[in-house]
Amino acid sequence: MTALLGILLPLALCAQSKHNFSVAGTIKDGKSGETLNGATIGLLERPGLGVITNAYGFYSITIPEGRYSMVISFSGYTTDTIIFDLKENLVLNRSLSAGNNQLEQVVVSGRRGNNILKAPPGVQRLAIEDIKDIPVLLGEKDVLKTIQMLPGIKPAGDGKSGFYVRGGGIDQNLILLDEATVYNPSHLLGFFSVFNSDALKDISVYKGGMPASYGGRLASVEDIKMKDGNDQQLSGSGGIGLIASRFNLEGPIVKGKGSFIVSARRSYLDLFTPLASDTNVKHSKLYFYDVNMKANYRLDEKNRIFLSGYFGKDVLSMRYKGGVDWGNQTATLRWNHIFNDKLFSNTSLIFSNYNYNVQITNINSTVYVTSGITDYHFKQDFNYYLNPKSKLDFGLDITYHITQPGQAVSSNTSKFNNITLEKKHAMENAVYVSHEWSPGTKVKLIYGMRLTELAVLGPGNAYTYDKEGNIVTRTWYSDGKTIVTYWNPEPRFAATYQLDNVSSVKIAFDRNVQNIHLLNNSTTGSPTNVYLPTSNIVKPEISDQVSAGYYSYFHHRMYEFSSEIYYKTMQNQIDYKNGVNLVGNNNVEAGLLFGKGRGYGWENYIRKTSGKLTGWIGYTLSRTERQIGSINNGGWYPASQDQTHSLSVVGIYKYSRKWTFSADLVYSTGSPTTWPSAKYPVDGAPVYYYTARNGYRLPAYQRLDLGATLLLKKTAKFESDLNFSIYNAYGYANPYTIQFQQDPNNHLLTQVQQTTLFKMVPSITYNFKF
Amino acid sequence: MKNILFLLAALVIFVACTKTITPNLNTTAQQFYIQGAVSDTMGPYYVSIVNSVGFYDSSIYPGVSGATVTITDSTSGLRDALTETNTGLYVTHSLIQGIPGHTYLLNVLLNGKTYTASSTMPQPVTLDSVTFDLSDPKQILAVANYQDPPGIVNFYKYTMTINGTVDKRFLTFEDRLSDGRYIRDNIDADTGEVKKNDFVRLSLVGIDKNVYTFLHEAEQIAYNNAGLVAPANPQSNISGGCLGYFSAQTVSSKINIVRF
Repeated sequence: MTALLGILLPLALCAQSKHNFSVAGTIKDGKSGETLNGATIGLLERPGLGVITNAYGFYSITIPEGRYSMVISFSGYTTDTIIFDLKENLVLNRSLSAGNNQLEQVVVSGRRGNNILKAPPGVQRLAIEDIKDIPVLLGEKDVLKTIQMLPGIKPAGDGKSGFYVRGGGIDQNLILLDEATVYNPSHLLGFFSVFNSDALKDISVYKGGMPASYGGRLASVEDIKMKDGNDQQLSGSGGIGLIASRFNLEGPIVKGKGSFIVSARRSYLDLFTPLASDTNVKHSKLYFYDVNMKANYRLDEKNRIFLSGYFGKDVLSMRYKGGVDWGNQTATLRWNHIFNDKLFSNTSLIFSNYNYNVQITNINSTVYVTSGITDYHFKQDFNYYLNPKSKLDFGLDITYHITQPGQAVSSNTSKFNNITLEKKHAMENAVYVSHEWSPGTKVKLIYGMRLTELAVLGPGNAYTYDKEGNIVTRTWYSDGKTIVTYWNPEPRFAATYQLDNVSSVKIAFDRNVQNIHLLNNSTTGSPTNVYLPTSNIVKPEISDQVSAGYYSYFHHRMYEFSSEIYYKTMQNQIDYKNGVNLVGNNNVEAGLLFGKGRGYGWENYIRKTSGKLTGWIGYTLSRTERQIGSINNGGWYPASQDQTHSLSVVGIYKYSRKWTFSADLVYSTGSPTTWPSAKYPVDGAPVYYYTARNGYRLPAYQRLDLGATLLLKKTAKFESDLNFSIYNAYGYANPYTIQFQQDPNNHLLTQVQQTTLFKMVPSITYNFKF
Repeated sequence: MKNILFLLAALVIFVACTKTITPNLNTTAQQFYIQGAVSDTMGPYYVSIVNSVGFYDSSIYPGVSGATVTITDSTSGLRDALTETNTGLYVTHSLIQGIPGHTYLLNVLLNGKTYTASSTMPQPVTLDSVTFDLSDPKQILAVANYQDPPGIVNFYKYTMTINGTVDKRFLTFEDRLSDGRYIRDNIDADTGEVKKNDFVRLSLVGIDKNVYTFLHEAEQIAYNNAGLVAPANPQSNISGGCLGYFSAQTVSSKINIVRF
């Protein structure tokens, strides 16, 4: 680290010139005191120069002395202009007032300065305000469900956890909540995400062109920031829905200096289960809850600390059968420090955990199985604002991963022994440096390098296996001994060229490395995820992506348009051998297969950002394939996430002051699937004969959702509305699972059973804010 | 794990609806399916050879005639040439009763191609009793009760007859996580449950590893193909490029009547 600073600081210092001064500060929301991430700071005297506030609302510009008019703009807020004489270094903290009460307020959120022209390709940011009118399942507004309607991001299916980004797997998305990794972002098997939108500020999605400060997953980064809490006055919000209710309270700790926010949510589907006629359903448990908490305090002008946490749990159990519960816990302690007007620092200590517990009840005996992953993470980031044309980001990441693949405790009468699988330990370290540089007013370059080191550590056994998966050697490594180390440089490059005031072209290249791998070979959203770190057998997954795009505004900037293409290759992709046991298996690595992947696509996005009607149309044409071992005779075959065409249309219509209507339509080519071509009798029972992996396709997926919001009351102190929605309004039967089975009514026949989860799910939610 | 999947399935059922669909399925050339067994109970033993049929066809599999089938006890050297009694069904003559620990070889010559398999009969494990799990009155299940021998790797299959009719649901179990335990295992029936006053005969069949691998993978495909990301044909213990298995196995049976 010191070596890195040693290289960078002199470089930065010699770039300074004598008569330059800097103006720096923090931009906040005037009403709530929330810092504004991504506000644009421009100078009328220097068109083309401009900076964007960082995740903590901080900005800094270094310019020659003189008189300037500084324009601060942010979507949904009144633009602020300040005139100042710059004779010495200056601190300018500003608060913006939220637009006004006109109808357009909700819909101007896309108008974010030169956002789409200058941001790196493949990046999209959504404020929570942007998603509040989009209809979703059971009325729970949900960031992770909404981003699945953006081009290049595809849902894994109705009621399935996770999503696919540019042909990557569901475990290849880095989902961060205040910098902490959230391993399983789904509640209720994936019907809902774990993110309570009341507690959130915004989400940034990177499909490509990831800044060097991010690393660890191949396909995408979803960086979700929690609100800091209102530091001006106590306020709250909440909602009462059909299956879940939520409440959010925030307020100052010391007015203007510190604030807190607490948000909680619980589902009560289980309140209805006693009404069921089926006694087993009657005695089942089925609920989730989650709590978000955050507090921040500004010690002085230069120091601010944040403490944020998340705790969530799902419980599902059934009489006579046992149950399963699972949940994520995260905690983040952060310290913002402003060294000087040019150097901003953030230090984070992060804890992240995912675990599940299974209880299997079986004739007077019980088995408890637990498994999980825990991360201890230290992160240090610096933003160094050399001059308005040049910014350096650098820092380091140290993460200690502990995975517990499984532990089972059985009662005496159980058929299972107590077992404890070997814990796995890994240290993942990274240093990065990234330079954001605008050599001219039209060109912007972001280039950098991330260097990742993964050390697999003892205590633990390292195995080697033969082709049949039998153990060849077993070597014991004691505590702290390194089993194997991998070094991987990850170059990142993005260039933007602004063609004119309203259009730009961009290219990017990025390499990503992934060292935590998810094993789950079930199609349903089973929470029994096994996380496996890179080892002597499992190599780091690597992806290389090149992407390019064209971006423009048109029709008085009412519309924005983007068209991007990408090509991606992936190494060391993981698949499973037939019949591998992922649970209770110390030698699970012997059951894995490794191979290559590739993906390419064309993503188009047109969005109307203002007027009574807003929304977007996204269309993606793409392909993603795998070549793994001897599957399909060693040839390339379509991956399960390969959906050739994918279309989403989102429309929000502000009909009157009281009524807002919305609709979204999703259509995509069916995913590849493996279906049989014949059958044969094993002990008399039909077993199905397969000819090729992913040789068939599911029927096309389609869905129309409708929503309406009725504003009941809106005063300065209280606001309430009623939200109505219908998910899958025309009741199209999208498959959740397809089972080939013996016809229960005629054992001489076999049939295909399709299970559909959601057909025309209506909901009503009452929301309030004070 | 099965229970977890069951739970998830239950949740799905709670909100879901199902329907029968008839997607177009490719046809493929007929595949031979060979199945044969030798056991420690009295013979004769059978080897059946059938052809696969299309998924939407009736589950009546045409027998394959004209094969030359032999089973050899490679431990004792006894070689038995089977004769075809019905179309595709071949029966032993000199092999009267299999012996635990002996390795048996199957050789099938069919249309000029040879298919071979080898299976070693494990040491027998005795089924103590068959009882019934009455805890869920809506789904009564037969229970196999037996002691898994400690320190020995065992693989099992359960078969059941209900009121004299063979239940075609096959079920496998291994002692990988249960070595030396007293096993009480619920047995799924083809019909989903057994009923009051049913006469149940349950067999605990000891099998070798390769037979277990085939049957376990086949079981996943037969009963849980919707839950598999990528179902694939099970690994047969017969070489030569055909489906099926040949098992030298031990059988221990008990009977009971569902009473409560």
